Amino acid sequence: MDAILDIAVWVVLVAHLLMFLIAVYRVMRGENAISRLAGYDLASTLTIAILVIISIIRANVFFVDVAIAAAALSYLSTIVLSKYISDHKVF
Amino acid sequence: METVLHILALILLVLGTALSLIGVIGFLRLPDVYTRLHATGKVSVFGLVFLLLAADILTPLATWKALLLIFFVLAASPAVSHAISSAAYRAGIPMLGKRDDLKGKLERGKEKDA
Repeated sequence: MDAILDIAVWVVLVAHLLMFLIAVYRVMRGENAISRLAGYDLASTLTIAILVIISIIRANVFFVDVAIAAAALSYLSTIVLSKYISDHKVF
Repeated sequence: METVLHILALILLVLGTALSLIGVIGFLRLPDVYTRLHATGKVSVFGLVFLLLAADILTPLATWKALLLIFFVLAASPAVSHAISSAAYRAGIPMLGKRDDLKGKLERGKEKDA
């Protein structure tokens, strides 16, 4: 059972890395700024997911702390960037 | 008990990855910014939350931190999607859909500015 779980966690990690590459490609080749911003939001969500998978692989809770910090930073940056793109000012 | 929990974690991992994959395929294939945001919501709500529940079972000492992150993601991700779609509407990104409930309530800019 544990062997199956190990293989499954590695397959899940590789799948999330591929999805992260797709999102980064969409950020580079988006058709307008908002589409790139949606891709950035997707990429940051997948970053949090990859950190959680690494915490499962290493059996270490430290990476969940890093994921919490990354979630807070990506939330703030996406909100501020969307306001900046639509209104041309932040505050 | 241990084996049952590990089978549950395996199911959660596979389910979360499948839903994330559906969301990313939708993000690639859908034609519009607004419909693409509908697809990326699946990744943050279903994919990430199922992965965090699996980490809750498999990683030692992670229980309350993973629950805190689930709560934060469930609170933040709809707000982020709403902010992005509102910014797209106000920046004047064209919509494919016919119906426009916000017509006359928010001013739309030119698309060239965005």
